[in-house]
Amino acid sequence: MEFTMGGFLAILGAANASMAGIGSAWGVAIAGMAAGGVIAEDPKKFGPTLMLQALPGTQGIYGLLIAFIIMNKIGVLGGSIAPLTTAQGLMFLAASLPAGITGTISAVWQGKVAATGVQLVGKRPEEIAKAMVYAAMVETYAVLALLASFLMVNGIQV
Amino acid sequence: MTIVNMNKINIVGLDSIKTELIKRIMDLGVVEISSQDFKLTDPEWNSYVKKDGNENEVFNLDVKISQVSEVLNSLEKYDTSKRPLFNTRKPVSSAEFIKALEKNDSVSENVNRVLGLNKSLSELCSEGNKIEAAILSLKPWIKYPIPLDMTETKYTSVIIGAVPSIADINELKSKLFRTTERCYMDVVDSDKDQYYCSFICLTEEKEDILELLKQYGFSPVTFKDLRGTAEENIMLYENSLKEISAKKETVDKDITELVSFKEEIQLYHDHLVIERDKNKVLSSMLKTDTTFYIEGWVPEACKDSVQKVLDQYQCWYDFKKPEEGENFPVLLKNSAFAEPFESITELYSLPATSNIDPTAVMAPFYVLFFGMMLGDVGYGVMFALGCYIILKKFDIEGTFGRMLKVFFWGGISTIFWGVMYGSWFGDGLVVGARHLFNINLPITYVWVDPLKEPMVVLIVSFVMGLVHLFVGMGMSAYMSIRDGHLADALMDVGLWYLFILGPIFWLAGDMIIPGSVLPVIGKWVTIASAIGLVLTQGRAKVGIINKLISGVLALYGITGYLGDVLSYSRLLALGLATGVISSVLSLIGSMGSGIAGAILYVLVFVFGHILNFAINGLGSFVHSARLQYVEFFGKFYEGGGDAFAPFTKKTKYIKIKEEI
Repeated sequence: MEFTMGGFLAILGAANASMAGIGSAWGVAIAGMAAGGVIAEDPKKFGPTLMLQALPGTQGIYGLLIAFIIMNKIGVLGGSIAPLTTAQGLMFLAASLPAGITGTISAVWQGKVAATGVQLVGKRPEEIAKAMVYAAMVETYAVLALLASFLMVNGIQV
Repeated sequence: MTIVNMNKINIVGLDSIKTELIKRIMDLGVVEISSQDFKLTDPEWNSYVKKDGNENEVFNLDVKISQVSEVLNSLEKYDTSKRPLFNTRKPVSSAEFIKALEKNDSVSENVNRVLGLNKSLSELCSEGNKIEAAILSLKPWIKYPIPLDMTETKYTSVIIGAVPSIADINELKSKLFRTTERCYMDVVDSDKDQYYCSFICLTEEKEDILELLKQYGFSPVTFKDLRGTAEENIMLYENSLKEISAKKETVDKDITELVSFKEEIQLYHDHLVIERDKNKVLSSMLKTDTTFYIEGWVPEACKDSVQKVLDQYQCWYDFKKPEEGENFPVLLKNSAFAEPFESITELYSLPATSNIDPTAVMAPFYVLFFGMMLGDVGYGVMFALGCYIILKKFDIEGTFGRMLKVFFWGGISTIFWGVMYGSWFGDGLVVGARHLFNINLPITYVWVDPLKEPMVVLIVSFVMGLVHLFVGMGMSAYMSIRDGHLADALMDVGLWYLFILGPIFWLAGDMIIPGSVLPVIGKWVTIASAIGLVLTQGRAKVGIINKLISGVLALYGITGYLGDVLSYSRLLALGLATGVISSVLSLIGSMGSGIAGAILYVLVFVFGHILNFAINGLGSFVHSARLQYVEFFGKFYEGGGDAFAPFTKKTKYIKIKEEI
């Protein structure tokens, strides 16, 4: 397998997209720490708090998703990388930016919103849906970034 | 799809029938009795009436209820029979209920027995703890051969105590023997914190020696009330521990025997709750020396049944429609399909009384969007079948039961979209069949493969979003017309319809029907509606200039609609997420070959799809709720209604069926 700048940049793009997982890990951790406090008071709230904790985890999945589509498209998964020009590689890298960057940052902030949601559930368990919708408001932008990245990657001719 | 009409009811009756009437109203369960405290400060009322109430009885019953709950909790721990997955209320006919109440004395005796047993259990536990602590303090002295109660003889004194392990014990020893030769010292035992030492010395030298020992941090230990050596005492204690645990076992057995009375006790609990509520409602009522007064709300449809009861007890009463703008408790009424979706409306907030019940209009959109975001036959079957089985097997009430029905319909819709997208566990079934059995399954999409042609699905998502938004705006127009403001409906909704549709045809008309006049029509509609909006949107302002400025600024609102429509792109994006993760799972699963490869595939398939199902199911639930709450409700809905809370039997364990 020959090293090409194009191939390297495309893989860098896939790596960048999957790094939204950093944000998700961070966000899930923030929500999880808040959940621990609530559980100390009332272990029965494990289910609802776990649901809230899971919400910032989706950005990591969206990132992985874009990474896989890029890898699939350039043939990493099949074992033979398509000969890419540097321009194509740069395009893949650029297309990965929304999923990687928006994903990371939105996951951290979503984690913070989810953490306050966990506090809310601690006091008023019946209001879990509202807590989840608040967190989903943040996630909207990760969904939009996923879509942007997907459409861009999809549009690059290999 | 309506907010039920409520009538305000006033009742005046004689004291002699009060208890009986309260019982009958409770049986009916359709009257909300509202608190009348504000009348007590109203000079027109407060010279005649005073507050009714029986707080002592409520307090006594509350105490009993909490005792019975405690008993039930502890019986739950001893109940070894298999517990059902979901707690449901057991149906009991009212005749059975009344008959069961005859046994109340024996039940309350059983309750007291369990309480007594619980108490002796906790006493035994604390006694055991005390003994264990004593054993722990004796343990270091187990090798000390002198009886603990022997502290002196005629001429000598016995000292025992502990020296911290940081002290130099050898130095202490040599210093001690330099001070006096008539002393015996023994290090009985040591652990990582302390040396345990005993000394025998002449009583006359005791003070000097203690003085010296103090320099090494010596602290004397005494065992009061103990006779014999440490070892003997430990043995005694261990024996009594055994006795205690034997006693505990008999108590445990006694409680276990009482588990068979659990159902009776549950019934008793609910009986107490009913009695408590009957007494509690008194504090919402007013009374004179011989009469009582009740004010509350009744759904119009239930008027007759209430009237019949009141006539029977010869009460004075009247029904009044709520006055214009008066808030009344909100009860929603919907068709069998839409009824479960009331829970989604309730999660947001019940409608204000002047508003409208959005449930029936929202329900189809909720189902549609949920299915589109999950979009997989396999997951749809899991949702629909799972909910169906649970609902068939258990009689689940309340929000949870309704949620299950919502998810059932969501599952059906998910199956539909899965067929449309050709997604059966993503491509998991196709790849699995090929990988494991070398069969090519003829599964393909009916409408479109969103992974290959995302733009088509994206445009359809936007169109659906537009329809959803227009329906929401239509609801707003409907309410304006209902309230007699036809002009508002035309200006605030009609013009916006045109101003949204106009630009779409102007820009994309050529794509919809090539070569048509649509773009030209679109252009003029846009211009006309824009002028209309500029002229009308500032109509509340004073002065021509202000009106025009507000009108022009209102045009900027189009960006809000643009954002709303773009928000529906999540219908595609979340559907993609489900599909792509599934194909990733298939890819990872089919990496091996042979038997090991087959096992790998099955493992990845099962665990991967469970995870994907859970995370995307959660996402679909939350995001379709969000589209309703933010985009749809934002156009017309105003929450803030108080739920109709009729005076009824709030039982926890049983459901009393009334014979009619």
